[in-house]
Amino acid sequence: MDLAFTPEEQKFREDIRAWVREHLPADISHKVHNALHLSRDDMQRWARILGKKGWLGHGWPKEFGGPGWNAIQKHLFEEECALAGAPRVVPFGPVMVAPVIMAFGSPEQQQRFLPGIASGEVWWSQGYSEPGSGSDLASLKTRAEKKSIAGKGDVYIVNGQKTWTTLGQYGDWMFNLVRTSTEGKPQTGISFLVLDMKSPGVTVRPIKLLDGECEVNEVFFDNVEVPAENLIGEENKGWTYAKHLLSHERTNIADVNRAKRELERLKRIAKSEGVYDDMRFRDEIAKLEVDVVALEMLVLRVLSAEKSGKNSLDIAGLLKIRGSEIQQRYSELMMLAAGPSSLPLIREAMEAGWQGDFPGPAFAAPLASTYFNMRKTTIYGGSNEVQRNIVSQFVLG
Amino acid sequence: MDFDFTDDQESLRDAVRKWVDKGYSFERRRAITGAGGFDKAAWGEIAELGLCGLYISEADGGMGFGPVEGMVAMEELGRGIVLEPFAQALIAGGVISGYAPAEVKSAWLPKIASGESLVVLAYQERGARYKLDVCKTSAARSGNGWALTGAKTVVPAGDKADGFIVPATVDGKIAMFLVERGAPGVTTSGYGTQDGSRAAELALAQSPASLITADGLVALEHAVDIGIAAVCAEAVGVMDKTLAITAEYMNTRKQFNVVISSFQALRHRMADMKMQLELARSMSYYASLKLNAPAAERSRALARAKYQLGMSMRFIGQQAVQLHGGIGVTDEYIVSHYFKKLTQLEMTFGDTLHQLGRVSGQMQETAGVFA
Repeated sequence: MDLAFTPEEQKFREDIRAWVREHLPADISHKVHNALHLSRDDMQRWARILGKKGWLGHGWPKEFGGPGWNAIQKHLFEEECALAGAPRVVPFGPVMVAPVIMAFGSPEQQQRFLPGIASGEVWWSQGYSEPGSGSDLASLKTRAEKKSIAGKGDVYIVNGQKTWTTLGQYGDWMFNLVRTSTEGKPQTGISFLVLDMKSPGVTVRPIKLLDGECEVNEVFFDNVEVPAENLIGEENKGWTYAKHLLSHERTNIADVNRAKRELERLKRIAKSEGVYDDMRFRDEIAKLEVDVVALEMLVLRVLSAEKSGKNSLDIAGLLKIRGSEIQQRYSELMMLAAGPSSLPLIREAMEAGWQGDFPGPAFAAPLASTYFNMRKTTIYGGSNEVQRNIVSQFVLG
Repeated sequence: MDFDFTDDQESLRDAVRKWVDKGYSFERRRAITGAGGFDKAAWGEIAELGLCGLYISEADGGMGFGPVEGMVAMEELGRGIVLEPFAQALIAGGVISGYAPAEVKSAWLPKIASGESLVVLAYQERGARYKLDVCKTSAARSGNGWALTGAKTVVPAGDKADGFIVPATVDGKIAMFLVERGAPGVTTSGYGTQDGSRAAELALAQSPASLITADGLVALEHAVDIGIAAVCAEAVGVMDKTLAITAEYMNTRKQFNVVISSFQALRHRMADMKMQLELARSMSYYASLKLNAPAAERSRALARAKYQLGMSMRFIGQQAVQLHGGIGVTDEYIVSHYFKKLTQLEMTFGDTLHQLGRVSGQMQETAGVFA
């Protein structure tokens, strides 16, 4: 047992740190460090910088052009990016659909889709949730019916609706779970289909959320023709592929690196607002500090188990629950630290470079919006109540 | 960064677990509590496993192991809610090895390692709560040695111990001494504690003592941190077993014609208990892995760990009783004894609010495991 990273791992971290320091644009990290509004261009710019280095798919194996890092190296890379104030990599392409295409796609599909994901040129969106299927994902109803059309060959005709499609308004391509059969258990009639979001019959409608932002969308399919060659793997096996996807990057969901960065920010805000020396407030920060250390230890245990392969730790559900609770808590404490200054809702003040007169310290402008936005974390990715069902299954059978 | 145990550590775990399972049944434990809460024979069996010398070098008759081995042993003893204060052997071994002059080491370490001598830390004074720098017991020069006068409270197995590690002030500064129980002016009065084990009040009147170190507060803080790491590991064992007992009960007990483990409200409670257990286990690892760090870093880490463990212990203990229903509040059934053990451990070496104060007071600008 050893808490310290090896000298090689330490060297790896320093190399990453130096590279990120040199390549992460300062205007972008400024926005991230201050929770200011990030545009599509900001996210794309960073994705392309990573893509050019071959690190956008930082979890990819070498055979697909990735760096072939182990679990620890991936963690160190993510940590250095987070602490430096890099935007989170939009995961739908490089983290979510790419591993499925690698594992289950044909060589043609791999050649067709992976380069655009690796370079950051093509923006992918996720089509999982539907209006009627929240945490009960297998109940999805969007239909894909196979047909032969003269001159076009075999196509799937897709009808239905997806929802909660994160940043779907920016999407070029979309991967979907669609129903290709209604026989047997709900899980057995689902297929994994990718489609061009510019196809006729695809309509994207942003959903305004409680913070006033449009982070998610509804996507409607009205007789969308999708070439049969866009089916990944076998028909009706999509559920298996989706589970493969969800099992990937399980420590990622805890987002402990961002939590460390945000806890440091919380301390700065509390100091600046004079509540750091108020014991009642300070103790709340201290509790969160312990929560973050405990979560990081939990993550490190999982990484160590992955590295050695000796002990498998099936605690992904715990990571999701704890990570999301912590995200909510730091955003809550930041808002409370700013007090009444967090109440004015001035959208321009959440943009970088705004020179107006904010009624309070400038850092307070986005705090309440971030707090509101973070309520999603205990709901998405399998609500925390569903996670508790999974955890209790391990303990109680 | 690696959290695997070596083969030797796994063997140590197996050996201790085997003794707990076969040699320390609940019936034996109950009998020991009935007889006062400390059993010399059981202490001898723990020593025979080599555990008392874990932190003592091989040259001094010990095993020369470190915090991870200490943690492994404590976890397993925790599973059996063993009454004998084994953490004290780790403290005595660590403190005497680390701070005492050669003649004190050679006089005491072999006897501690063999189990012949039980030496316990007698540091708490009435009214001081968990503060380490409050010490009314005083020491004065006496011939070539020292004489101590004062009183210590809730000393583990105090009237069964052979010696005490005692902080006492010299010219307003705390120094650390070793006092034999049989020495002149030493009196003890023993009693049972809430978890079924034993403690005593210790009174010293011009009692002869050997100096361990003049830098007593540094040694005392270290001693208590060794104790905290030990208690954290012990608690992990207690909680692990508490969850197992509760899960088994929930899968057996029927209400409304179904096993109660089928009720979602109860399942979610169990998921929350599992969460607290794994956070606690993680922080127990953290405590042991930071035990040899420089003092300031060690202190920050151990305070964080004990805070987490305290929260976990209280939640798991209380909820285990609740999930058992009426049987959970009986003396006859085992789970109430696990609950009481967890309660006492929370209050050993500083309770949860006390630790929160330490975390709060030592907070840095940076955050995380390595900060």
